[in-house]
Amino acid sequence: MPTMTYLEAIADALREQLRADPRVFVLGEDVGAFGGAFKVTDGFVEEFGEERVIDTPLAEAAIVGAAVGAAVVGMRPVCEMQFADFVACGFDQLVNVAGKTHYRFGLAVPLVVRLPSGGGFSGGPFHSQNPEAWFMHAPGIKVLAPSTAEDAKGLLTAAIRDPNPVVFLEHKHLYRRVKGEVPEGIYETPMSARVVREGTDLTVIAYGAMVHAALEASAPEALDGASVEILDLRSLVPLDTQAILASVAKTSKALIVDEANETCAAGAQVAALIAEHAFEQLDGPVRRVATPDVPIPFSPPLEQAVLPSVERIRDACRDLLDY
Amino acid sequence: MPQLGVSVVEGTVIRWLVGVGDDVAADQPLCEVDTDKIVTDIPSPAAGTLAELLVHEGETVEVGATLARISKTGRSGSHVDHERPEFHSPVVQRLAAEHGVDLGGVPGTGRGGRISKQDVLAAVEKPLHTESPYRAEAPAGQLSRMRRAIGAHMKRSLETAATCTTWMECDMARVEQSRRGAKASSLLGVTPLPIVARAAMDVLGEHPALNATLEGERYTRHEAVHLGVAVSLGEDGLIVPVIRDAHALTVEELGVAIRELAKRARKQQLSPDEVGGGTFTVTNPGQFGSLMATPVINQPQVAILDLEAVVKRAIVIEDADGNDVIEIRPQTILGLSWDHRALDGAQAAQFLGALRRRLERWDG
Repeated sequence: MPTMTYLEAIADALREQLRADPRVFVLGEDVGAFGGAFKVTDGFVEEFGEERVIDTPLAEAAIVGAAVGAAVVGMRPVCEMQFADFVACGFDQLVNVAGKTHYRFGLAVPLVVRLPSGGGFSGGPFHSQNPEAWFMHAPGIKVLAPSTAEDAKGLLTAAIRDPNPVVFLEHKHLYRRVKGEVPEGIYETPMSARVVREGTDLTVIAYGAMVHAALEASAPEALDGASVEILDLRSLVPLDTQAILASVAKTSKALIVDEANETCAAGAQVAALIAEHAFEQLDGPVRRVATPDVPIPFSPPLEQAVLPSVERIRDACRDLLDY
Repeated sequence: MPQLGVSVVEGTVIRWLVGVGDDVAADQPLCEVDTDKIVTDIPSPAAGTLAELLVHEGETVEVGATLARISKTGRSGSHVDHERPEFHSPVVQRLAAEHGVDLGGVPGTGRGGRISKQDVLAAVEKPLHTESPYRAEAPAGQLSRMRRAIGAHMKRSLETAATCTTWMECDMARVEQSRRGAKASSLLGVTPLPIVARAAMDVLGEHPALNATLEGERYTRHEAVHLGVAVSLGEDGLIVPVIRDAHALTVEELGVAIRELAKRARKQQLSPDEVGGGTFTVTNPGQFGSLMATPVINQPQVAILDLEAVVKRAIVIEDADGNDVIEIRPQTILGLSWDHRALDGAQAAQFLGALRRRLERWDG
């Protein structure tokens, strides 16, 4: 199995789908000649041509709107936002049109919007957001957020083949930092959670970049040998209720980590789920670690102060383990 | 005392704005302090309950001195942090209910002694020795106040007195005959107790050493007999109401008194005066069919008479011609528990012998 970065795995999935399915095409700002803001589609225009790798104007509403139209007539468009933050400009097309077309007209809208998301590199308030919860709140849209190279490829493949609009959050911090063995050929990763590490004393629930922070924070040697289970959600919509409740039933304690701003984040939904359905399993309060409700600062020290750090996660783990 | 200025080294508490037991919010003014430059409010460094004021109004203390203690747990007192919380987490409550674990006996290893899920599971796997083996049959509970009082009294009696018990058989033919005759008037109860009590009154007059109390080394004989009568309250326990001046009452009056006291005892209508001051006690387990039950002396008395069941026995008696014959006769056993510190066996036996003779020749 070849070893790939998270970014290479995403490119691999896209390339394979472009090769395998003539209905698939990509569109976005600078995805063609420039190869994408992060070089995900580097070399694509040479292989697949300008008709399938379309450079668009700086107009996210147009990108998503064009994709909705193409999807309705049977194409499989994959939109790229240069930064997840910019999807706000395409919000109406995504939430009001793509998400509701099936319910209003009985028409499938098989499109994918790729959202390079997350902070940690001094990108500031316009280039660091984690907007997944906006779309979790909008019916009719699936929301995926892989944390590994293997899952990134498998989930993007599943997203492109899915008949629904899918928002695909690819964490910029992981693009070149996370590497792993990635199966060759086409495969789909199920839209369900994955137990990253089994444990008995505490469940840490995370997704995206926070899975890696949680793994480091809760290493047994850092927590006096405590046995901490890590659950990588991978998919936020659909949310793997069963896996969450099963893990909490086992450990009776839950810490939810997400990089998004705290209020109404994905973690809040998970916490509500546990409170409602696992109350009698709990041996401690459901705890959350998230980013405070502020825009992400440019200043590196300030950004590090607001993003969930390994130390904050570890402190929360310790607090729950000692409870 | 916070550092209220670079050159300030001390301050005087002028007035406390909160009192012990008050809930305080973070930054809420706690007191006014005079630093000889200004008078300023001191804000609370934390939210909680004011547990202790350490500086009096008018007192001057150095910067850095502790002015007061705030308990974060919401209850005043310096030991609150070590108190075992009464709250149990949902999973602990559920597991305890499922496995019938009494959480009172589970040691808590969580923060502040909290019982954790692991603690309950450990208790399930290895039941504690302190738990009752009967917990499946009946929910664990504490002894009633009455049971605890009876227990304490009985233990004290056995620990205090040198208790001995003397037994004597007694023919009850005359007593039974008398009861049958009296039944028409229904003045007597269903047991021979009033007759035995009346006979005992007479015998106590002849043996006053038994109508006495012994408190420490102070031994007191009493002229009047204030007769305690043990009354069973079923599962609830036992109470011993006292018939004042029982020696002056007739059989019928004793019967009425016993019945009335028992009735009021079962309705919990006895006054404290009616359950104290006895000089001699009689107990009647025979009403439940008992043949020999060792009574415990009702402290500080020195003796307790025990009336057992009256049963028909084939016994050997002497007929009018002086021949031994076997006859079917109602018999009982009279028991007397007595305190060997105050009496000797001879006195007990003499008392019982006299009582026996009186009952066997009863002509009531």
